Amino acid sequence: MQPAIETHALTKRYGSRPVVRELTFAVNPGEVFALVGPNGAGKTTVIRLVSGLAFPSSGSVRMLGHDPHETPSVRRRLGAVVEAPAAFYPYLSGRSNLVLHARLAGGVASSRVREVLDQVELGHAADRKVGVYSLGMRQRLGVAAALLTRPEVLILDEPASGMDPLSLHLVHRVLRDAASSGTAVLLSTHHLDEVVAYCSHVGIMEDGVLIDQIPLRDRGARMRALVDDVQSARLTLAAQPWVREVFVRGRDVVFTLEQPAAIDKVAGCLAGAGVALRELGDDSFDLRSYYRERVEAQRARRTSGDGRPRIAPGPPIVAEGTAGVDA
Amino acid sequence: MSALLAMELGKLGRLASVRFSALVLVLFPFLWAYAPGIFDVYGFFLVSGFQVPALALLSSMEFLLPLLIAITCAELIGIEINNGTLPTVLLRPVTRAQWLLAKLLVASVYPFLALAFFLLASLAAGAFFGFGPFVGGTGLGRQGLLGAGTMVPLEAWREVLQAYLIAAYSLVPIGLLAVLFAVILMNAAGGALATLATLIVMQLLVVFPGVTPYLLTTQLGAYVHPASPLGWVVALIALYCAAFAAAAVIVFERKDF
Repeated sequence: MQPAIETHALTKRYGSRPVVRELTFAVNPGEVFALVGPNGAGKTTVIRLVSGLAFPSSGSVRMLGHDPHETPSVRRRLGAVVEAPAAFYPYLSGRSNLVLHARLAGGVASSRVREVLDQVELGHAADRKVGVYSLGMRQRLGVAAALLTRPEVLILDEPASGMDPLSLHLVHRVLRDAASSGTAVLLSTHHLDEVVAYCSHVGIMEDGVLIDQIPLRDRGARMRALVDDVQSARLTLAAQPWVREVFVRGRDVVFTLEQPAAIDKVAGCLAGAGVALRELGDDSFDLRSYYRERVEAQRARRTSGDGRPRIAPGPPIVAEGTAGVDA
Repeated sequence: MSALLAMELGKLGRLASVRFSALVLVLFPFLWAYAPGIFDVYGFFLVSGFQVPALALLSSMEFLLPLLIAITCAELIGIEINNGTLPTVLLRPVTRAQWLLAKLLVASVYPFLALAFFLLASLAAGAFFGFGPFVGGTGLGRQGLLGAGTMVPLEAWREVLQAYLIAAYSLVPIGLLAVLFAVILMNAAGGALATLATLIVMQLLVVFPGVTPYLLTTQLGAYVHPASPLGWVVALIALYCAAFAAAAVIVFERKDF
């Protein structure tokens, strides 16, 4: 499958100062890739590079197989909000702003404007001037504008910034629906807890470096077992054909099953190897804690040693075929 | 492109600088037409409504009109930056060159719109003096405000319209220069100020007589006293326009947003 968004060694410098360094990632159709990271990590610059608003200093960006600078027409298949809050003409109504967007995009039926306004629950405020919209309403209008052309690629810079919990839930639902219909979504966000629920990948950025890419899609099949002998449990489980990946984390053995039904075999298998199983359950992944650990580790590495940016090795989360890190 | 151009023209009336300019352009001819010190300054009394447009143009072409044109044309870009709408537009399947060309076209049309409005306001201000035959001159022909003999309305109309047309045309490169500076500086105020600074420097360059006929500021007087044959002036102004527009497109094509 051809990735909808693909970057290779993407680098951006302002003067001699690099703000994005050697970034390589891909987003396939139907996937949601969330860029997270501290303020100033370079997320917005990545969004602008990928959407074609800024030029890379080196490396490449491909959108649906095209360079967005060389082939501007590829933006017909893009929906994007790169300003937070989303920017509109304040003297026009929400509807008029979207009509204007529809005219620029070309080939958008007027009924589609009404449809996207309803989708983000702005139908009642469609004829009010955007100047009187709240921050959350502007953000929702931004999402509506991005969805206007039924895009194959959605790029959103902090789409949930300034939103109340209900609006936040609404926007996340809209994005999830877009992804489930095959749209590739790239977004930057600080809402770690929410993105875990529907993102397929999370990329952690720090000081312009993508320090980790965490696949989240298969998390439902990941289990955690509390045992008396973690090493024996790890070796035993690793030898089973129905276990895809296993590693030790503290006093737990964490493993991913090929099929969720194989859970019934775990207790018997460990008992056969003389390992006492004390607890077995889903491995709930705490992105917030993981994010903090990785960013702090990266910062510590950056400020020590030769001062050059280096990517700190971290424990693999669910990457297929990885051996894992023993604690 | 036509949809883009219509959209950009529609935005023109929303600009604060356009509204301010409209106010100034309405008030200015009325103030000048009825100012008590006109005779002391210009040495004549107004005798015809046709002389008010000349008086308005003579008093504003050196500084006021270039200032108003520069401010508005720089704001054409600056407002998009302030609103944050520039990236929004560029994310649509519109090339950067197309978008900027639409802005440049609006900047080119604006001096004609502004001067048409100025002319209407001047004629309204001159209505008190009437528009019949008069002795003197429109101030926009070879004989100036005096000494043209008896002027018939048709000839007066021709002189006034021609002068306003040439004046508007000579202001176009100033608008395009303001767009260029606004694109470079990504700022409306900076664009307008840089344009004015450039015009002031050009005015000072009259100390180099060899350069003077080619200066943009020299062409601002072409509506009444062209420094060279009119065809040559028209071509030179077109050259300035082409150079400023091309430079703006080249700079804009490589800008990061």
